[in-house]
Amino acid sequence: MRRVGITQLAQSSGVESKENLMDLTYWVNKEVLDKVGLQRDELDCIIIASSDIFHSGLSCANAFDWDGAGAFMLEATRAEDSMFSFIYGCMRIMSGHFDTVLVTSIVKGSENAENDALTSFFADPFYLRPLGMNETTAAALQMRAYMQRYKITEEQCAKVVVKNLGNAVFNPHAHIKKKVSVEDVLNSKVICDPLKALECAPKSDGVVSIILASEDKAKELCDKPIWVKGFGSAMDHFNLGDRDLLNGQLPIAASHAYKMAGIRQPRKRIDMAEICEPYAFQELLWCEKLGFCDEGEGGKLIDSGETQMDGAFPINPSGGVLAMNPYVSRGMYRIVECALQIRGKAGEHQVDKKVKTALAHGTHGFAGQCHSVVILER
Amino acid sequence: MGRAVAIIGTGQTKHGRRNDVSYPELVREAVIAALEDAGITFKDIEGVVHGTMPSMMEGISDTHLYFADAMGAVGKPVLKTETCGSTGQSIAHCGFYWVASGTADIILVVGSEKMFEGDGQATMTTVADPWFTKQFSAGAPMVFTMQSMEWIYRFKIPEDKARDAAAIISVSNHENALKNPYAHLRQKVTIEEVKNAMIITYPVRLMDVCPASDGACAIIYASEDKAKKICKKPAWIKGLSFRGEEFFYGESNKSIWPSATEAAKEAYSQAGIHDPLKELDVAEIYNPFTYQEMIFYECFGFCPRGQAPDYVVKGTFLMDGQLPCDPSGGVLCTNPIGATGLIRLAEAVLQVTGKAGEHQVDGAKLALSHAMGGIDQFNGITIVGSEL
Repeated sequence: MRRVGITQLAQSSGVESKENLMDLTYWVNKEVLDKVGLQRDELDCIIIASSDIFHSGLSCANAFDWDGAGAFMLEATRAEDSMFSFIYGCMRIMSGHFDTVLVTSIVKGSENAENDALTSFFADPFYLRPLGMNETTAAALQMRAYMQRYKITEEQCAKVVVKNLGNAVFNPHAHIKKKVSVEDVLNSKVICDPLKALECAPKSDGVVSIILASEDKAKELCDKPIWVKGFGSAMDHFNLGDRDLLNGQLPIAASHAYKMAGIRQPRKRIDMAEICEPYAFQELLWCEKLGFCDEGEGGKLIDSGETQMDGAFPINPSGGVLAMNPYVSRGMYRIVECALQIRGKAGEHQVDKKVKTALAHGTHGFAGQCHSVVILER
Repeated sequence: MGRAVAIIGTGQTKHGRRNDVSYPELVREAVIAALEDAGITFKDIEGVVHGTMPSMMEGISDTHLYFADAMGAVGKPVLKTETCGSTGQSIAHCGFYWVASGTADIILVVGSEKMFEGDGQATMTTVADPWFTKQFSAGAPMVFTMQSMEWIYRFKIPEDKARDAAAIISVSNHENALKNPYAHLRQKVTIEEVKNAMIITYPVRLMDVCPASDGACAIIYASEDKAKKICKKPAWIKGLSFRGEEFFYGESNKSIWPSATEAAKEAYSQAGIHDPLKELDVAEIYNPFTYQEMIFYECFGFCPRGQAPDYVVKGTFLMDGQLPCDPSGGVLCTNPIGATGLIRLAEAVLQVTGKAGEHQVDGAKLALSHAMGGIDQFNGITIVGSEL
């Protein structure tokens, strides 16, 4: 199999941009091209991730995305999720048909409706949607089950918010940055019991771009490519009632990625991780499912302090999705942060330890119906 | 370059108004048909690619989540790619690269649409941007008619001549559809009926336009080793390409349609095709509008620019012509949009594997399949052959 390397990357800030969607897309993609010193028509392929009508007010979003992404008359396509487009970009290079692929993900959350209104359209219109099902209500069911089965406390979940929003203070691209206490989180408005306002991710802008390249090309385009060692994804049942919300498909997605990367003991081999946690407790649950701690031990993991930015096993030094949630792009923001940490270029939110191997995780759908995992290495 | 990839199975639903099934059931019907055709089971599938038109079409977004069970995708990796009308070709390309990458040997690709449960034309106006273009949008016919008129005037084609040729295309597609058990519109029409049908957007009349259909299509890709083991007669991918133009309709010359022209050129170069009219045995062109089909003939190099009507009148593209186009009856008779581009590929596969039944083109060995999408903006092509 051909190796795939990350050469350069660029990301927009999560706060509302003054640029329109096409210009915002253009500036980020121009930045990443300038960094590698390529013109857009020197690329072999472009893969765009964006959402259709619900996240940008346009259907067939690729039609509008095309110009800003620089895809005019190039081999190009579009995926519905940024982790999908990243994985697809890797596949295109591995196939031997392409040497350089620009992967970009485009969302301007400030210009459209609330996440819950949009995610309610994941639900089928006959059974689930009339019940008021959306990403938040599904997550609340999952959180309650998690607390009951494993005695995870509300305080432990709140600590994730304290950690991640605190980390975000040092990340110039993050959307929400503030020092909050466990009490602040517990006293914030109940959105959907047991979820409190500060435990739910915001809605953010976010355009992010990565230029992937085959091994030789990557070495030519940059000094130290970051290698894509493994990836995997997995899908769960659609109906929430058909699933054990605490035993989803993340272990399957992770096992594909670990196998590809030759990782047997994830906790030992991986130095830090960026986890997609639109709801605070999910960081703890996903950590268990990724094999970072034992089943039901997610609460103890946050209590131990190891997942702090200066801890032995930092999780979400960027501030995570709680600090910035450009829906479709949020998975690729995890990859970008891992790449920055590996390069030692994360600036003020650079973790204390040396990072050789990092894991990025993305999820969409109710209560983690679909998970993707990407492993990067120096 | 890279691993050889084959298609070892295809499946289609019966297309049309399918009130007898739910949307997931419709998807399931195509998936089961493809598995049966390939002689494999869900256990053999390593990953699934899905795509449709945009969410508003049926009021559900991210349909790969909704169809997880119907597609047998639970516990498996899934990719979702979507590029409007050209989705069918984009998901086909995604399945190809997945297998070519070496990360899987057998991949299922599924496209679907249940258009009687939504408002297709209303959805399509939302492809236009909300500030400048949407005010002028009137669904698909407006855009494709403008393109047709641009072409007629650019090449000084007498309107009557274009009208006559378009009528021949309508009649022949409807005739072909009568032989295709999956087709939606299965009725005989005459030249007179086409020419006197209700005007939709001048000069396009009702029988120059495709229907809206419920339908799904699935195909199964396999690596060279697996294909040779499992399948007696696989169809091999010979070339594939996708190109797109500017978002704003007025910025490109649609009469010579660069994206269609360049996509074809790239796919031909991969497949080693120099004279498509002679070397291709059959083409499944994405032809929701009769006039537009002629523009494709020219972009794909089947005839010189501005001369498609002459070739149509000569019968070049009829079932018994030099290069039969859309022996399935094409999009003109069946259009479940998210599936439509994939149906073109499935039909091309049926042709080169000799499984097309009553609408088989005798001895077909090399076939082109195509889809178009966006605001007249995207073109994707896949060429399949019976030989590796």
